[in-house]
Amino acid sequence: MITLTHFLVVSACIFSIGLYAVLAKRNTIMILVGIELMINAAILNFVAFGKYDKINYGGQVFALFAIVLAAAAVAVGLAIILNVYRHFKTINPENIHELKD
Amino acid sequence: MNTFLHISPITASILVMLFPLLAFIIQAVLGKKSISGNIALIGIIASAVISLFGVFLPGWNSTSVLQKWEWFTIGEHTLYVGILVNNLTALMQLVVCIIALPVHIYSRAYMKGDSGIHRYWMYLSLFCFAMLGLTVSLNLLQLYIFWELVGFASYLLIGFWFTKETAVQANKKAFLINRIGDIGFLIGIALVYAHCGTLDLSTLFDQTSSTPLIDKNTPWATFAGLAFFLGAMAKSAQFPLHVWLPDAMEGPTSVSSLIHAATMVAAGVFLLCTVFPLFNETVLLVIVLIGTLTALSAALFALGQYDIKKILAFSTISQLGFMMVGVGIGAWDAAMFHLTTHAFFKCLLFLCAGAVIHEMAHLKAKAQLEFDPQDLRHIGGLRRFMPKTFGCMVIASLSLAGFPFTSGYLSKDSIVITAYEWASHLGGVYVLIPVLLIIVSILTAFYIGRLIFKVFFGSFKYRSYIKTGMTFHEAPNAMLIPMLFLAAGSLFPLFGLSLTNYHHTWIMQALDVDTVYPTLTQAHLFIPALLTGGAILGWLLGWNWYVKNKYPLSENNSFVHFANKQGYLNEFNDRIFVKGSIKLSRILYAFDRHVVDGLTNLFSWFVRQLSVVVYWFDKHVIDGLVNLFAHATYYIGHLVRHVQNGQLQAYLGFALTIVVLGILYLIIK
Amino acid sequence: MGVLSILIFLPLVATLLILTLPSSAKATYKYIALGFTFLQFGLSLYLYGNFDATLGGIQQLDAYQFVEQLSWIRMDLGAIGKLEIDYLIGVDGISLPLIVLSTLVMLMGVGASWNIDKNPKGYFALLMILNTAVMGIFSALDFFLFYVFYEVMLLPLYFLIGIWGGERREYAAIKFFIYTLLGSVLMLLVIVGLYFSVINPVTGAHTFNMLHMMNPANYVDGSFFAYITNYHEVFGIPARLIGFIVLFFAFAIKVPIVPLHTWLPDAHVEAPTPVSIILAGILLKVGGYGIIRVCYSIFPDIAAYTNWWLALIGVISILYGALNALAQKDLKRMIAYSSVSHMGFVLLGIASLTAEGLSGAMFQMVSHGFLSAALFFLVGVLYDRVHDRYIYNFRGLASLMPKYTAYVAIAFFASLGLPGFSAFIGEAFVIIGAFNAESMSTGVPRWMAIGGSIGILLSAAYFLWTLQRMFFGQTRLKGGQAWQEALTDLNIREQVILFPALALALLLGIMPSLVFGNLNASVLQLIELIKP
Repeated sequence: MITLTHFLVVSACIFSIGLYAVLAKRNTIMILVGIELMINAAILNFVAFGKYDKINYGGQVFALFAIVLAAAAVAVGLAIILNVYRHFKTINPENIHELKD
Repeated sequence: MNTFLHISPITASILVMLFPLLAFIIQAVLGKKSISGNIALIGIIASAVISLFGVFLPGWNSTSVLQKWEWFTIGEHTLYVGILVNNLTALMQLVVCIIALPVHIYSRAYMKGDSGIHRYWMYLSLFCFAMLGLTVSLNLLQLYIFWELVGFASYLLIGFWFTKETAVQANKKAFLINRIGDIGFLIGIALVYAHCGTLDLSTLFDQTSSTPLIDKNTPWATFAGLAFFLGAMAKSAQFPLHVWLPDAMEGPTSVSSLIHAATMVAAGVFLLCTVFPLFNETVLLVIVLIGTLTALSAALFALGQYDIKKILAFSTISQLGFMMVGVGIGAWDAAMFHLTTHAFFKCLLFLCAGAVIHEMAHLKAKAQLEFDPQDLRHIGGLRRFMPKTFGCMVIASLSLAGFPFTSGYLSKDSIVITAYEWASHLGGVYVLIPVLLIIVSILTAFYIGRLIFKVFFGSFKYRSYIKTGMTFHEAPNAMLIPMLFLAAGSLFPLFGLSLTNYHHTWIMQALDVDTVYPTLTQAHLFIPALLTGGAILGWLLGWNWYVKNKYPLSENNSFVHFANKQGYLNEFNDRIFVKGSIKLSRILYAFDRHVVDGLTNLFSWFVRQLSVVVYWFDKHVIDGLVNLFAHATYYIGHLVRHVQNGQLQAYLGFALTIVVLGILYLIIK
Repeated sequence: MGVLSILIFLPLVATLLILTLPSSAKATYKYIALGFTFLQFGLSLYLYGNFDATLGGIQQLDAYQFVEQLSWIRMDLGAIGKLEIDYLIGVDGISLPLIVLSTLVMLMGVGASWNIDKNPKGYFALLMILNTAVMGIFSALDFFLFYVFYEVMLLPLYFLIGIWGGERREYAAIKFFIYTLLGSVLMLLVIVGLYFSVINPVTGAHTFNMLHMMNPANYVDGSFFAYITNYHEVFGIPARLIGFIVLFFAFAIKVPIVPLHTWLPDAHVEAPTPVSIILAGILLKVGGYGIIRVCYSIFPDIAAYTNWWLALIGVISILYGALNALAQKDLKRMIAYSSVSHMGFVLLGIASLTAEGLSGAMFQMVSHGFLSAALFFLVGVLYDRVHDRYIYNFRGLASLMPKYTAYVAIAFFASLGLPGFSAFIGEAFVIIGAFNAESMSTGVPRWMAIGGSIGILLSAAYFLWTLQRMFFGQTRLKGGQAWQEALTDLNIREQVILFPALALALLLGIMPSLVFGNLNASVLQLIELIKP
């Protein structure tokens, strides 16, 4: 029997992988991927908790909404990365430190 | 008699003063263009003529006249300047004019060719103005002004050859010592003013008023009398303030004859005669004592001098001592008489000495020799070259020695005899005074004899030069005529027809002071005899010593040295007073620098040190607290700044950490 | 605006004019300054000519002349009362001679500044400000106004010495400034104390009017400086005595008296010639004037009580200054010390409290004013030529510079009190006044007068000694041939400056009534005030 706990565990694993990618990867694209993973972990949770809202399917609806938003965000994110690349000739975040004090 | 130009004696005496002043101003403006001395000469001739016909002849033996003009008002008192013409002032003014005139003529020849001659005439006119003004001043302050101006002119004339070191030392000394006297005079004036409220001579010593303004037996009157006498002591070179006069001989000889023999130095005696009513017994006794001491010491010093002019200078001092005694014994008429006769013969002595020095200096210049032309040891046997000078000098010397037929005989006898009468009236040790005066008279005869013998007799050291074509001749006429004129004045007829009795001279008859002591007829006989006999003995001795060259004393005799060095008085003064005051001034300056200024600097140092301490406190304590706070803030900031490393991922991680921490906080809470 | 105000503020116009002109016109500055000082001199002569000598002054406003009175500051201070400060100026016999003297000395000072090259704009502007302040001090009758001018005077002097001075100018300037400031700060305390003790009888408000302060009736009973029945004490010293001492201290620094004199030699030696002239000629007189106008007039009771000590200080200053002058090897320093000595006569004369002494002191101030100016100018002449004034470096200058020597000799003899020159009248009457003091029983003993007269002897000693050392004898100079060529005789400008001063000394010496006549009424009134 696959219980809610299983979903949550899988979701947590995906989130952790995404978090790791965001924090550790030396490639901005990979960070973007990590972000996507984290969003998807959240979506998975929406779907999983959707079983408590059987009347309106709020979980599923919100998951779909989030997927659409995530797609849009990825598009914007990639555009930024492209511009960053044009400007800095690199997409390694370690080399981009204009924000330093 | 008052018909001459129809002017009053007052106006005339002002004119007498003004002519030399005018001459002085003209010459001062002209500067180097006035070398002939004509202006000064015209001035003094005018003065002499007016003085004789306008002041003296109408004013003599008539009541005293005065006129005064308001000068200034100070407080409640008004001071007046004015002219006082009475017997005393008219006589004094005339004497000054009559002596100054021949000296002016003499100077034309004597000073000819000197590079600074324009200054000479200027100074001489200034002197005449001051001296003539002094004689007729009505107000004591006015008298004082002229008194110091006379000293100033004398300063200028002594230092006439200002490149000569000894001359400029001498004029400084003369002025400073006169200044001591001037202070006395000023104190006297101040005392009189403080007690009487006026300085007007006619008011102060008004004989006609029943209540005299001054009670002379009060302590302040004694003090004021002594103060006036101090003034007279300096001006009239009384012991121990006489030291300036021998040094003053550094000036031209014509100046010495006019100023330092005949007129200026007599001003002290004149002053005492003027303020005579102020003196009480004590003051008069002091005057007698100082006068006698001066006469004696100066005569002794004169014996040891080798410089012609210094001998004459000491003889002047000695004679001034006689005059002081005359004032002190109350016979100021005798003093004035001696002053007058002395003016003639002493002036003549100097002029003759000047003629000799002049020729000696010429010889020295022409033969290119190195010697002091005033030193007796170089001169001798001049009577063959300068017979007329010799004649004049002998007359003057006889007069000085008080030989019969001369004026000096009359005047000196008048003092000595009166002194004897005075002493026998008082009795006791007072007899010492006339005895000493007689001794001084004999000494006088001896030293002036020595001078004559040494200069005009014996052999002349530089005779060989004269043989080799050097001319050594009689003084020129411009010098001889004044000398002859003065020689005539040194004989008795000028002062009265009586050969022996000084009471019958016109000066004594007119001035005629009442003395309290009785006349002693026998003194009129034995004192002149004693004086003349002593003089002749002295001359015989001198003849033997100096002409026959039987000189008994060694030159290194301590007495000769003592006399030559003037009793070591100069050395004493130099060591004690001059060095002393310079030393004191140095000490005080060091005190000023190190103590007074030192205190100021110490105070400023203290303030600066205090400021250093305060600054330290401010820097380390107060500012330290501020800095501590700032540093702490900075350090915390420094710790936190590592977060801002610009790494996107680090920001994210940090945000995550905070979120996690926040969640943990929420959980734990 | 009256004549007196014009006299005071004319130099300020000159300052503005100099400041607005561009630096390219710097050659005109001295002419502007000269023109304005000349105008001032003319005005002061107008004052002198129209002065009524019969009127006294001192504590009576109607006896003052050329009076101008304007309300200046009126402020309601609530509980303390109303602040009442007037612009009150006027002239009496005490201030008139000093005003005329100041304008003359200023004229000499400007003449002596002819060769100033260093920043002439600032120099002449400051000089003119100083001029305004000096005129203001001598005519102010309101204590607050007096104080303002007194302080204004300090500032330009500090810069004039500190910038245009000699080697140690900064040291001298600061010493001078601090010394004088110390005095004026103390003075301010007494001014405030007097302000709260005195009431204007007309308005009933506290006042700074000096003339009201001189009237015993205007004092508030029980106030700090109250006239009668005053129990206030500071450290056991009565309040009025301490007020007098503090004011005296302030002015005594200016005079200066021994031992507060040490700023003077330094300031004089380091100051440029024109500033020395003004310092000696005018500023020292501010001290004497202050003692008469302020100390003696406001505290007459204390003046009569303390005059023994004041006379003693005067005598000490005379002798001490003279002996110090004797020890000097720097000509300018010698003259500076001689100023101490001569100003001692002023104090002795004032303290004698006799008409003769006070008049003599006033006369001595006037006489010392232009004589010391002439002396400092003469030193400046020598210093200009060879930049040396060490006495022993010169000898026999008379053969080299006869005219200069003649002027020096006349100035020296005039200063040492040769009769016929003004200093004699001043010194003689101070001495006579001091002698007279015992007859008038004002408490000055006669030995002090004798002590003072010894100062006359000493002054002759140091002047004649200097004359002998520097001017007589064979010519021998430290700088050799170079100096011999540099030491040219006086030029026309220098003679034009010197001649009037010495001629005036002679004129006043012969006709002292020119001064005595105008100040006699005031002096008598002051004595009346002190001896009720």
